Amino acid sequence: MRWSGWLIAVVVVASLCWLFPLFHIVPLERAAKEKAAATFDPKAFAEKFWNEQLLTSLDKAVKAEELLPAIQSNAAEAKRKYSRSVGVSESYTYYIAGQGRVLAVNDDEVSLAVTEGATTAEVSLQTGLLFSNAIRDGTGLLNVNDYPNSQDFNAISEALNRIIEERVLPKLRETAKVGTIISFVGCAEVNDESTDLKPLKMIPVKAEAK
Amino acid sequence: MQKIFRPLIALALTLFIQTTSSFAADTPAAKQKIAVVISTLNNPWFVVLGESAKARAVELGYDATIFDSQNDTAKEASHFENLIAAGYKAVLFNPTDANGSVANVQKAKAAGVPVFCIDREINSTNAATAQMLSDNYSGCVALGQHFVKVVGKEAKYAELLGLVGDNNTWNRSKGFHSVVDRYPGLKMVSQQSADFDRAKGLEVFESILQKNPDIAAVFCGNDAMAMGAYQALVAAGKADKVKVFGFDGADDVVKLIAEKKIAATGMQFPKVMAQKAAEFAHEYIKGKRDFQQKIPVKVELVTPENVSKYGDYGKKN
Repeated sequence: MRWSGWLIAVVVVASLCWLFPLFHIVPLERAAKEKAAATFDPKAFAEKFWNEQLLTSLDKAVKAEELLPAIQSNAAEAKRKYSRSVGVSESYTYYIAGQGRVLAVNDDEVSLAVTEGATTAEVSLQTGLLFSNAIRDGTGLLNVNDYPNSQDFNAISEALNRIIEERVLPKLRETAKVGTIISFVGCAEVNDESTDLKPLKMIPVKAEAK
Repeated sequence: MQKIFRPLIALALTLFIQTTSSFAADTPAAKQKIAVVISTLNNPWFVVLGESAKARAVELGYDATIFDSQNDTAKEASHFENLIAAGYKAVLFNPTDANGSVANVQKAKAAGVPVFCIDREINSTNAATAQMLSDNYSGCVALGQHFVKVVGKEAKYAELLGLVGDNNTWNRSKGFHSVVDRYPGLKMVSQQSADFDRAKGLEVFESILQKNPDIAAVFCGNDAMAMGAYQALVAAGKADKVKVFGFDGADDVVKLIAEKKIAATGMQFPKVMAQKAAEFAHEYIKGKRDFQQKIPVKVELVTPENVSKYGDYGKKN
């Protein structure tokens, strides 16, 4: 009777452990894969965003021939009408498309005249190392509230800048010669009211010689 | 006899009731309470953050109390338990740990107490009512660019990190490295945590300096550590040889930038963030519910060239 009692107890405990295991043994390889899947991958995210959202939104950019005169005639009104701003900040961004004639090319920028007959640079396309949040914040396609950890949101900015450095800038540097017409789409980040907006410094998402 | 006493008793009761009710009407209703829970008060920047939040809450008509978590999540948890039990109507919260503080915020939320994070975030977008956060990463991208401009593209440098469990520590470090790591000639010889603390900053940087006497600069994750590092440099007679970069916009560092003794800092706006959080809490208590979860607050680069625009933990009017 005593032995049968012990036997029943062992069977009950074994059944409970079978149904509700105290721990799981998982192969190291599978555990590593699961951990990687749970970790945000900014490069993969930026790649998908670049192809599926950013490049399909280029027609949403404001036309340079509309924005540039608006900035020159009333910068505050142009800011109100065309810019985007994230959080509490004096800085803001423009998402712009247009075409211009190359006036000068140097190590870090290509200067363009957009208005017919202009002799000074109105837009400068940045071609050096990129560090700005202009692309992440300028299009309005990404929202900080979608990212519980802001490190992920910041990593997107860096990954997008790398894509531009690798895919857009080399071709631009190669084809931009004084006098060439360049068609461009990109974002400009303006620090505050005291920033000189002529030329408007832009990071290009697309820049092609015509 | 009873005929005489009954009207007298009735009159006395009436007078008593009228007196007590008019006394009650003259007594102001008890003020609602707002708690300000700060990660540590062992740093002047956080003192300004806490005091500004408290002052704005008081201006808006609340009783406000500051709780010091002393960078300890257990103390923070105990503050939350106490303030929930004590009937506080809202919490203005500077978290100690991005992950470790989530449970406290959830506990308050479950008890119907809204939490408004200030400066530091928690790794959750559905626990706090709103989070006013310094854009540390972008601020340190700007600092990194200035670092390259001032120190050059070839030099050895050290980094003092803040609390390793705090997202701000890594947002700052990553923002800085997203720039300087693009220049192979800039070599980081040491990266150590000094917990955002001035005394630890002094101690840790003294040891770094002994092992690496040829460094050209130190990037510090906050101004308290920058002050500690600067103190170590003064003691070693190297204050004019090693460039110090901080982050926060603390008054003592801004003054040393004006004297060209510290190279730069990132101005956060503790007063703006704290006051805004108190106003959010007030709006919540008045019935507003649709708050944006994360509100980044821009950090501005302060250098000897533009330092005259800054002071008193913000931008001069």
